[in-house]
Formats: sequence, structure tokens, C-alpha cells
Amino acid sequence: MGVNDVKPTRSELIELKKKIKLSQGGHKLLKMKRDGLILEFFEILSKAKDVRTELDAVYEKATEKIGIAESVEGRIVVKSTAFALKDTPQIMIESHSIMGVVVPKIESSSVHKPINKRGYGILGTSAYIDEAADAYELMVEKIILAAEIETTIKRLLDDIEKTKRRVNALEFKVIPELQEAMKFITLRLDEMERENTFRLKRIKKS
Amino acid sequence: MRLLQKIRRKSRSAQNRGSSNYAYATARVRAMKSNLLPIDTYPRLMNMGINEITRFIQETQYKQEVDELAREYTGVDLIEHALSTNLANTFSKIIRFTEGELCYLVTEYLRNYDIWNIKTLLRGKYYNAPVDEIKESIVSAGQLNYSFLAGLADMDSYTDVIEGLKNTPYYTVLKEFDGTNLSDIENMLDQMYYSGLFHAIGGLGVSDRRLLSTFIRSEIDIKNIRTLFRLKKYTIEDEEEIPQLILAGGLELKMDDIEKMIPLSTEEFGQALEKYSYWKAISNVVGSDMDSLIALETELTKYSIRSATKFSHAHPLSIAPIMDYIVSKRNEVSNLRIIIRGKASNLNEEVIRNQLVI
Repeated sequence: MGVNDVKPTRSELIELKKKIKLSQGGHKLLKMKRDGLILEFFEILSKAKDVRTELDAVYEKATEKIGIAESVEGRIVVKSTAFALKDTPQIMIESHSIMGVVVPKIESSSVHKPINKRGYGILGTSAYIDEAADAYELMVEKIILAAEIETTIKRLLDDIEKTKRRVNALEFKVIPELQEAMKFITLRLDEMERENTFRLKRIKKS
Repeated sequence: MRLLQKIRRKSRSAQNRGSSNYAYATARVRAMKSNLLPIDTYPRLMNMGINEITRFIQETQYKQEVDELAREYTGVDLIEHALSTNLANTFSKIIRFTEGELCYLVTEYLRNYDIWNIKTLLRGKYYNAPVDEIKESIVSAGQLNYSFLAGLADMDSYTDVIEGLKNTPYYTVLKEFDGTNLSDIENMLDQMYYSGLFHAIGGLGVSDRRLLSTFIRSEIDIKNIRTLFRLKKYTIEDEEEIPQLILAGGLELKMDDIEKMIPLSTEEFGQALEKYSYWKAISNVVGSDMDSLIALETELTKYSIRSATKFSHAHPLSIAPIMDYIVSKRNEVSNLRIIIRGKASNLNEEVIRNQLVI
């Protein structure tokens, strides 16, 4: 809002004062929200780091287990055994709010199965296959957890950025402009007051 | 179990199998065994890269299969398919040149490949896997030939596959498949394999019967030990399910012993095994902190292969040299696959070396 657009009236001054008060209140709240989101972000960040480290370790283990299974049993056997598993993991996505930011909550079921529920016969298979399947099931669980945490982090970061822009806009643009406009109106009203007094004195003198 | 007993009764007990050609068959098998890669090949292969190993395999008895399959596959997949095709061709050749009772026994022993292929067909159809992928997984080393199995793979559904197997002994088990009990059917097929083998052994002459029976029963013991360790690791305690997963007829581990072992913890089970001969092979890897059963599986496989070799030297003019060749050939294919797949999967050299049975 440029100073030139401001009407130097008392009602405008009252309106501006209200706006400044509202903006300052909003600025304080947004600052609190930003700080809260940053705290939340750092808390989740450490969790995300742990999950990533775990996921890397699980991935490495799963790669080794499938490597051993494929080398000892053969890829042909691993592939054929994999055909026996028809059920895919069920994933349910819900949402919840962290300080107004909607983040996902991912629940999964039928990821980890006992060996007698995997579809393949126990007598014709081996521990190589069991352990490769175990490692991959664990990896899927970790991927789901990492997806939940990393999406939350992404959403929080987006919102922190948005809130930061709003806080900065209020702090460095909106509130100073309003204050400038208020200052201008006050000066103009004072000037008008002085002009009026002077005019009255001139009239009285003549 | 009732179903298996029925199968046992129905199988071909009174068949006249004709006279066996032991002398000829064992001589041929010995010649074939001389073509197997010498033991010192494996350490050399361990020092080679994948391309060098591929080249090496191309220059051995696997050349024909590598050349034939080179249009369809490349790299490690080509080698693995060439190895399994060569294994299938070799075992089919043994079935062809053996006669009479010997042929019958070898065929019965190699039925596990038929069972494997049937499982693959059922799994593939159950999963709706592409026909090509199902065909790729067929290893026709048993009695059922590749074109018959490939024809089954071309069928639309698992019910058609089962109908296609109507004239085989497996139909009695397969007709029980209702689309939800695949693992039960697989276990029943494996039970059927061993009961069929025992039935075949039952009709043999005294020395051969004892020989093969010892070999198979030891294999059953090893399988039961593996199964029990797996069930304990995954804490499967279903009283109805466990007996279906135990194979009867073990050499040292009798059913009564196994029944006592079922409720034991892994540690107690390990202690209970101390009085059996298998303990020597697994004592280093069995303990209370067994996170993985891979070391145990490997040690039991090594034990099984070594005892098969020993048993063949003790009885030169019998089925033993043929069984020894089958086991040795399977081991050679397995060792080559372990090295090449292990290297392709970037497995640690120590891990690859531990899996090899040399």
C-alpha cells in the first residue's frame, strides 16, 4: 500500500490502527507457528535419519540375502517360489495434523508373514528363501515407515517455508507499510489541524 | 496322511521292471564323472571375473547349452540357464541309458524335478505369471519332458494344468488343490515323493535296498532337521500342521524322537541332536544365538554331499555310483552358480567360499 493511496482521514487512521494490531497479532502467531514447526521438524528429522540408516542397513542385508538365495538355489528357484505369493501388502493412508499441517499416517498389514503363510511349501524350500523373504519383508516395512516420515518432513518443510514467507512479509512489508501509512495520516492530520488553527486565527484577526 | 497312504497303496508295486544293466550304466557314469570339473577349478574360478568365468564355462561340457541359449539370454542368466539345461539333459541321458530296475530307481529318485516343475506350473498359473517366465523356470531333469511341461505352461489356468496331469501319479494330490491351499499341496507332493521312493526301494534286492534306503533315509533326517530348525525359528507351533511337515522314515531320527523334539526350544533342540551323527557337521553353527539358518543349511548340504560320495566308493557295482554322479553333478552346477551369481551379486568372497561344497 503506497502512501499516495492513503486517504488522510481519521476513520482511515482508526482502520489502519486496527489493521496494524491485527497484523502484529498475526505476525506473533505465525512466528510461534514457525518456531513450533521448526521444533517439530528437528524432532522428526532425527527420526528420519534413524529410519534412513536402518533402511540402508536393511537394504544391504536384503541384497546380500537375495544374492545368497539366488546363488545357492538359483534365480530360477527364487523366481518360481516368488510366484507362490499372491497376496500383496495392504497399505492404508490416513492423515493427521501437526500444527495445521496435514501429514500422512501410513498403516500396513500383511507385510510380514510367517513361513507357513507365505504360500510356498516348507518341505520343498530352504532357509535361504525364508531369510531372503524375511529381509525383503522387513525392507518393505521400513520403506513404508520411511515414506511416512519423509512425506511428513517434506510437508513440514513446505509449511515452514510458507510460514516463514508470511512472517517476513508481515514483519518487513505489511506492518512497516501500515505503520508508514499511519505515520503519514498522523502527520497529515496534524498538518491539517495546524492549518485549521492558523486559518481560524487569520479569520479572528481580520 | 490318509491320502498319502492311498497313493502308496495305488502305486505300481507289482510292475515287472526287467533286468538292470549295472555294469554298463556304472561304466558310463564313471566316464561321465571324469568329465566333471576337478576340485582345483573352483579356487581358480574364484579369482576370475564374471566374463572370464563365462568364457571358461563356454569351453567346458556346457558349451552346447551356452551356444543354444545365447540367443535368449545374456550374462549371468545365460550361464544359469545353460547350467540347469545341461543338468536336465544329463539326468535325462542317465534315465535313457539305464535299464530295468536301475532305470526305475533313477527315475523315482529324479522325480523331485517333476515335482519341482509341477510346483512351478501351479505357482505360475496361480500367480498369473507370463507363460514365458513359467517356461524359463522349468528344469526337465525328471521323467516329464520339456515339451509336455511347456504344453502345460501354455494352458490357461491351474485347473487345466491339473487336468493335464490326470494320467500321472501326482493327480491324486493335485486334485485337492482348491486355489487356497498351495503350500499344503506342495508339502503333500514332497511327502509323496519320499513315500514313492520308499515304495520303489521296497521291491529291491537286499544289498541295493539297504544302500539306497540308507541314502534316502539320511536325506530325510537332514530334511527333518532343517524343517525343525525353521519351524522353531519362526515359532510355528500348530499341532495339526507340524506332523504334515515331518517326513517319516528317517535313518537316525525316528518319529518318536521327532515328536519329543517338536516342543523343545531351539537351544534344547540343538542339545537333543548331540547324540546323532549329524551333530558333528552342525555343532559349530548351532547355538542359542542363531539369527540365521544359512550356515546350518550350508553345513547340512555339505554333509549330505560328502556322505553320498563316501557311500558310492563303498559299493562300486550298484546304484551307488549313479547316485553319487547325480549328487556330484548337481553339486558342480550348484558350485558354478554360486560363484557366478555370487560375483554378480557382489557378495563378499568369504560368503561365496562358505557356500561352496568342494
